[in-house]
Amino acid sequence: MIQDYLILSIILFCLGILGVVTRRNVFTVFMSIELMLNAANLAFIAFSRLHESMDGHVLAMMVMAVAAAEAALVLAVVILLHKHKGKLDTNVFSLLRG
Amino acid sequence: MFADGLFTVFAVVSVLGAAGLILSRHPMNGAMCLVVTMISLAGLYGLLSAKLIFVLQLIVYAGAIMSLMIFIIMFLNIQNEDLPEEDGRYYYLLGGIVVLIPVASFLIKVVKSLPGVEATVVGNGFGGVKEVGLVLFQDWLLPFEIVSILLLVALVGAVVLAGKRRVNK
Repeated sequence: MIQDYLILSIILFCLGILGVVTRRNVFTVFMSIELMLNAANLAFIAFSRLHESMDGHVLAMMVMAVAAAEAALVLAVVILLHKHKGKLDTNVFSLLRG
Repeated sequence: MFADGLFTVFAVVSVLGAAGLILSRHPMNGAMCLVVTMISLAGLYGLLSAKLIFVLQLIVYAGAIMSLMIFIIMFLNIQNEDLPEEDGRYYYLLGGIVVLIPVASFLIKVVKSLPGVEATVVGNGFGGVKEVGLVLFQDWLLPFEIVSILLLVALVGAVVLAGKRRVNK
């Protein structure tokens, strides 16, 4: 049934939110965001199977491109911050608070 | 049914991988768990007869993006003492679960009210390269071009951010 796929997507999305909220490692937070993107992709594909139209597939490809761009930028920022602070703790990276 | 068994296996493996990601202390273990999740999600896409997305998930997501991430994690040479000590993380996890259970149960109730179809394989080239390409270049041409500009901007931004700093003289 198509609902099982959507329920699995909701569970994966909630696990991603849990990882973003509770963990303090930069890499784990970033990979949880990737997990949430994957859950959204699964919902797109399931809905496009439900309606038998292929717009969801195109949207999933767009999400993959956005995830690739995001990965490149986030990893550059993490390398920069690691060079400056030498830590991976998100509590250390609170520069904008002043 | 064979497809139902496959769905159960892939679903359990992907949820276990996600749980391993948010529970593991070292990011390397988390990355490996995420690779497992992505591969099982690729299997689920195959079950939903999305052939192109199945291949793209394996090549782009589990292949390119995750290997980039693992490359960076190994490049930074993270030791155990570099990791942030997260003593109270199980309490945080418990609190997060308590907050998220109502949200998730509400969403599941919404989803259960949808009309369901059996997830059988659709024929007529549904989800193949040609069909998805036709949809992509007819209906989604402008978003496609915008995504290409986004990728270019991300490329330039990554080079500017992580590239070698010029010494000011």
